[in-house]
Amino acid sequence: MNTLRSRSEHTPRLVMGNEAIARGALEAGVSVATGYPGTPSSEIIENLARVSAGRDVYVEWGVNEKVAMEVAAAASFAGLRSLCVMKQNGVNVASDFLLHLASSGTRGGMVLVSCEDPGALSSANEGDSRHFSRLLEVPLLEPGSFQEAKDITKWAFDLSEEIRNVIMVRSVTRLSHASGSVVYGEMPETKPHAFFSHDGDILDPMRGPVISGPVEYKHKKQQEKLQKAIAFFEESPFNTYTGPDTPELLCVTSSAAGFYCKEALRLLGVEGRVGLLKLGTTWPLPPRLMEKYLRLTDKILIVEEVIPFLEENVKIMAAELSPKIGAKVLHGKRDGFIPSAGELNPDIVIAAVAKTLGMTYGSPAATYTQRATQAAACVPVRDLAFCPGCPHRASFWSIHNVLRMDARQGFVCGDIGCYSLGISPTGFGTLKTLHAMGSGTGLASGFGSLGRFGMDQPALAVTGDSTFFHAVLPALVNAIHNKSEITLVVLDNSGTAMTGFQPHPGLPVDAAGKELIALDIVRICEAMGATVRICNPFYLKETERILLELLEKRGGVKVIVLKKTCALSPERKGKKDFNMFVNPAVCLGDDCGCNRLCTRIFKCPGLIWNREKTVAEIDDIICVGCGVCASICPSGAIQRKEIT
Amino acid sequence: MGKATIDFDPFNLIITGVGGQGNVMASRVVGNMIIEKGFHVTIGETFGASQRGGSVMSHLRISTDSGFSPQIPKGRAHMVIALEPTEALRVLKDYGNPSVYVLCNMRPIQFVAVICGDQPYPALDTIIQSIRELSKQAWFLNTTDAALKLGNPILGNIMIVGALVATGLLPLDRDSFKAAIGRVVSPEKAKVNLAAFEQGLTMLRT
Amino acid sequence: MRVFGAKELLEDVHAKDLCIGCGACVSLCPYFKNYRGKTAMLFPCTLPQGRCHAYCPRTEVDLNELSVRLWDKPYRGEPIGIYKEIVASRSTTPHPGCLFQAGGTVSALISFALKEKIINAAALTDREDLIPIPRLVTNSEEVLICAGSKFMASPTVSALNEGIAKGFIGMGIVGTPCQMMAVLQLRSNPLGRPDFRDPVALSIGLFCNWSLDTRQFSAYLTDKMDITQIRGMDIPPPPADVMVLKSVDRERRIPLSEIRPFIPSTCFVCPDMTSEFADLSVGMYEGRAGWNTLIVRSQRGADLVEQAVRKGVLQVSDMQAENLERLSRASAKKKERALRMLLSRGLLNAEGDGKRSVMRIPPEVVGKILATETE
Repeated sequence: MNTLRSRSEHTPRLVMGNEAIARGALEAGVSVATGYPGTPSSEIIENLARVSAGRDVYVEWGVNEKVAMEVAAAASFAGLRSLCVMKQNGVNVASDFLLHLASSGTRGGMVLVSCEDPGALSSANEGDSRHFSRLLEVPLLEPGSFQEAKDITKWAFDLSEEIRNVIMVRSVTRLSHASGSVVYGEMPETKPHAFFSHDGDILDPMRGPVISGPVEYKHKKQQEKLQKAIAFFEESPFNTYTGPDTPELLCVTSSAAGFYCKEALRLLGVEGRVGLLKLGTTWPLPPRLMEKYLRLTDKILIVEEVIPFLEENVKIMAAELSPKIGAKVLHGKRDGFIPSAGELNPDIVIAAVAKTLGMTYGSPAATYTQRATQAAACVPVRDLAFCPGCPHRASFWSIHNVLRMDARQGFVCGDIGCYSLGISPTGFGTLKTLHAMGSGTGLASGFGSLGRFGMDQPALAVTGDSTFFHAVLPALVNAIHNKSEITLVVLDNSGTAMTGFQPHPGLPVDAAGKELIALDIVRICEAMGATVRICNPFYLKETERILLELLEKRGGVKVIVLKKTCALSPERKGKKDFNMFVNPAVCLGDDCGCNRLCTRIFKCPGLIWNREKTVAEIDDIICVGCGVCASICPSGAIQRKEIT
Repeated sequence: MGKATIDFDPFNLIITGVGGQGNVMASRVVGNMIIEKGFHVTIGETFGASQRGGSVMSHLRISTDSGFSPQIPKGRAHMVIALEPTEALRVLKDYGNPSVYVLCNMRPIQFVAVICGDQPYPALDTIIQSIRELSKQAWFLNTTDAALKLGNPILGNIMIVGALVATGLLPLDRDSFKAAIGRVVSPEKAKVNLAAFEQGLTMLRT
Repeated sequence: MRVFGAKELLEDVHAKDLCIGCGACVSLCPYFKNYRGKTAMLFPCTLPQGRCHAYCPRTEVDLNELSVRLWDKPYRGEPIGIYKEIVASRSTTPHPGCLFQAGGTVSALISFALKEKIINAAALTDREDLIPIPRLVTNSEEVLICAGSKFMASPTVSALNEGIAKGFIGMGIVGTPCQMMAVLQLRSNPLGRPDFRDPVALSIGLFCNWSLDTRQFSAYLTDKMDITQIRGMDIPPPPADVMVLKSVDRERRIPLSEIRPFIPSTCFVCPDMTSEFADLSVGMYEGRAGWNTLIVRSQRGADLVEQAVRKGVLQVSDMQAENLERLSRASAKKKERALRMLLSRGLLNAEGDGKRSVMRIPPEVVGKILATETE
């Protein structure tokens, strides 16, 4: 039940961090919200989309983060407040535009929210985009609680309009996807009117053209904007200090790490000895504030996640202040007190604080831990696998087998999505490279041009339907134009699945479910000049036949679209096509002729190997009745009965 | 009517299971029930990739104060609710201690390593015995089978919330459930969830 | 026969570039597939023993064991192997529009065997453009489609395996010497299955000095001509040093020197030119266009020939001594070459724990073959 639109009450509610951010934007009177799906950020746009009925908020999933940011910027130039949301990788994609935007400035308040994934719980990397704020010279805010997630987001719009530039707000998984108490504020009455003023003088920020030149002039203006932000930061309620007036140790922290510091100090019982400076305005650091607290003691521990961004900025400040406040000993990631990779938790911070203070902290019940570890030794790690009924399992089965049969050491360049799991056994180890959105096709385009150097291995790439629009299109243009010889497999499961099944330009709906124009991947590829085929990946034989045919075809770009809706989509979830059954009398089990192909290699979670009876069985609770395993069984023991 | 109290502040509750079992829903419901009773709660979760057959955990920090970290410090869980038996052991390894209480659904969800025959699923009796040895008190239920009879195995997560209330370890009751479920699901779905909750209330036995 | 599994098959055969693509390991299970002449393993199989390794004519082929099984006689390394008689033969029914290879003996005998229900199906080799395609035929019309030599290794044993899986008993198969060895190993029930029944009622082996890699050969020819027009292929006897490709309206000659590079190296370890382990063996008859050399080896082979002659389907005539002499010398030469190759690569008679060989031949026979006088 969505309470995002509720009127303010003074009772706290249980709210997810992303919901709090969305509410903060609404309380600020946001008119346009854009983004691209990416864990842990997606819920912000989803929440806003759900309440966007009527004309007061326009919500759009952009084709990629750069375009999403451009769309949000347009709203800002037209005098509206706008929000742009993405995960850490998205900022990389948008950074070229962001660089120019930071120079040109904004008009209506514009906020960029980057939700990051320390420890890569749902990512292929643990990038940190805070450095973009310093690189591109825009102010950076980091909420350290659920209430702050709302309040900082709301305030960021005001700050943006004060300095006429985009503000970056950075969140992490342990805030965005965690839930806590939030008190909602008032919802404004807004009646926004969009108009883009452009006839004014070239140097007029509010009425002239919006450009990043004259460069040196605009760049200087950018610095002035930062100074203005600093003035606000000096007084900001988002920077808090708790602890004694004369602490032995000062912990400087931001974001979710603040939680861990607070918990660590409490568990160590050193709240009377250690001061905690939790910063919400982390770039540029306000010098007077920093001086006030850095002065308090000589020992400083900086606690943050991913790169030592805060640490390095604090150290710069400490160096600049040292004539006034003396030399300091600063601990953090660079000297190993805080680990340089992975996410933090209370125990890591406890260890760091204890080390700084020369204390020992034994975690409770060490002998218990020993016994528990022994008991848990029999419990294997749960490997990630494609869901039961996932079309990718069938697609990779065919692609893998075709490449083996083709026997020319062909390979597949991977891309980002659920199908990234194609690098592991669940996808039969089919993917041989994995980088960024669209990189699979880009790399394949490169490999496909190496024939002149003697390369005769078939080069393939995979992409999902969402990734196709996000970043594959330019790479595909490159391949076709440069006569690269590649085969692109589009795994079209009708949604952006890994992040929660959001829509994309290939689907006829928007974030709120309203009708939009769907672009046809097949027709686009044909119009671009590729040889295009389409097939249902559950039809294994036909998929194999088409793939073999395409691989044999020399020259040019070939595209095969394997179209079958995701097993988790609302369309398929909970609906079985077939009732599946294994006939134990026919099942060859681990004998010659089978060697447990279904459970040992195909490994759909709906299939179980019964060790005692040495036959395969269907787990009726897990099985979604897609019927594909019946096609791979060599003895016909797996049977499917259509459900009418 | 006396004010509701909790035995520990913060009370650290872990709800664990396998992606797709309704772990997140259960923690939302419990979280809202806690708020109904006037406490603060912080819930830390991981989802996304964990949908694809991975282990999931929700950490609930129940307190009169707000601002506890969404991750429970090691060895400090007061209670563990496991929707799957091996996940209970996995959680106890990192967060258990001799005083922990455990509520465990005994229906196994096979690992890829098990279903493909590489490793055996640990014997349920061994798991039960280990959990008993590693907790102050443990209850073993079969919420999946009961939920199947109600029409959907995923209702097991709501059933176990009922069982949680029956333990009396947290100041929760039917009223707080009704208010909470109203915030989390649509009115049509609330009815069957209430039935699951009611059944869960009756399911405790050691 | 020492039987191992797919892992050893990969190590012993594929890793050593010894796979000839005979198809014996294909269609037994989902793990081995043949595509355009190449046999590939799709996924690793963990069984310690499998039919794939047992049937393969390049692993643990014990020639003495095969000889005893088929003839009840030890393997002596005779140039043309064990036989009852050798004659010249040809089909009595020329079929216009269908290009027999030489005398059309194989097509005639298989057709006849099907008609007379001596066999109920036959594993033969068809062709699609230039790609040999195994085919399990069940009537005599289909036999004619498969007429004509292909000169490329074809996975024809896979059609036999498919027939077995479908429940056929009493099948025939036409194939190369390596395929005949594979079939005989198949017939010996190497995994000792209690429900095993011998599925092969007739095996006709072809003479073979070498074959061609399908992919390389078809790529080469595709460059030179429209391969869809090719109706038949032939290699005339020496001194001609060409391959003749017959299209609808013309003949093209290609120097053998250009084609020899496409001979898989594995052909050079094969000691069998005349398909010694078959019921009947058929090849060219040098100097007599339109006739075949027919070697009758087994009793059931002899019975079939006798019936076919009696019913006027096949015509036989004496073989000239000098032709027999030439055939014998050529066969002996191939044997000697093969053994030298096997020995130089350490692929013969390996002893010791876990050591595996391509072939096992009694040492005294090895000595005898190597001592043969050849130029």
